[in-house]
Amino acid sequence: MKKVQDSSIAGERSVTGEFEILNQYGIHARPAALFVKTASKFSCEILVEKEDTIVSGKSIMGLLTLEGSKGSTLKITARGTDAEEALEALRTLMENKFYED
Amino acid sequence: MGVTVQKFYEAAQKTLSLEVVSGGEHMERTIPEQALNRPGLALAGFFQYFAHRRIQVIGLAENTYLKSLSEKDRTDRVRKMFEKHIPCVVITRNRTAYPEFIDMCTEFRVPILKTPMITSHFINGATITMERLASPRMRMQGTMLDIQGIGVLIEGEPGIGKSETALALIERGHSLVADDITVIRRDYTGVVMASAVDITRYHMEIRGLGIIHVPSIFGVASMRDEKRLDLIVRLQRPGPDWDVDRTGLAPKMRDVMDVRIPYILIPVAPGRDMANVVEVAALNQKLKHLGHDAAKELDEKLVHKLSGGGLE
Repeated sequence: MKKVQDSSIAGERSVTGEFEILNQYGIHARPAALFVKTASKFSCEILVEKEDTIVSGKSIMGLLTLEGSKGSTLKITARGTDAEEALEALRTLMENKFYED
Repeated sequence: MGVTVQKFYEAAQKTLSLEVVSGGEHMERTIPEQALNRPGLALAGFFQYFAHRRIQVIGLAENTYLKSLSEKDRTDRVRKMFEKHIPCVVITRNRTAYPEFIDMCTEFRVPILKTPMITSHFINGATITMERLASPRMRMQGTMLDIQGIGVLIEGEPGIGKSETALALIERGHSLVADDITVIRRDYTGVVMASAVDITRYHMEIRGLGIIHVPSIFGVASMRDEKRLDLIVRLQRPGPDWDVDRTGLAPKMRDVMDVRIPYILIPVAPGRDMANVVEVAALNQKLKHLGHDAAKELDEKLVHKLSGGGLE
């Protein structure tokens, strides 16, 4: 759940974190919508990666195609001025199991 | 490319009526070459140039030939074939596998499959399946449509209106291939094909509505499973420093899996009917395919006239 990397390329903040999916049914429609809702509050670019597949964290369809089940890991990268806040908000969401169960 | 026997089996099980005869626990073996091989010559004892990296198909001829051999020869040849580390064996016409095959399959950990199909039909179907599985693929963020036979990928930042534009195009009778996430693969002829991810196929997400099932609302004609990528259209809010092509004389291209695809930037503005613009972009592309380039033709006419209507 940790392993956070910080880097800034050409002055642009970029943070990455790996998070395990904790909620029982994984990333189905409701958690995906919550994820997108949270991600869309920030102006930074958010990418979500699972097993070599990368999608935008602001796309519901994208997150659904990851087929993230409980126990699998999502690697989230945020790039932009509010990258850290965005990653923090998404971490909170995932650690709280998308407020389900 | 790592196509495993399992992947091949899953993809072709229905269409080719495949069944596992033996070695179901060795399905993770990879098939290094996508073509198929009939090991007739190998079974006859000639192993030079034996295409051992391919799926081996035992058809009627191979089976009948094996029958004609003495048990000792048969065991010997089959063993030799398995010793070459073949990925898997498929027996056609639902013939029963010789016990030698079952023994070797256990010893060399090679799965054996069977199909009721005749060999030539099986090979045709399996070649297409292997080609699909082995071709390089990637995902692109964008909504893919078939507009009058032209495959158009609509790109743009989240919230720019890709899905809404697609929805308007579907209402006009065009068909959707994939919403938001498009799977791209390049086939062996160098053509780029686009399709949807299985799990979300036929669905769209529209802000304010949520997830909709497109064929239930618009009918089956509104969906298409796969389409060649002919044009990429990027919807973008105009910035101060971006140059939009006002003449169409300098068409942009984008490399997608090393294939050059025409690329158009379209500025989004309130009140602008994006569906209409994208539709015309596709039709204009179709016209170019037919050999007509309106911008170029008009410019040539102009240059001709301005230079005194002389030579050319």
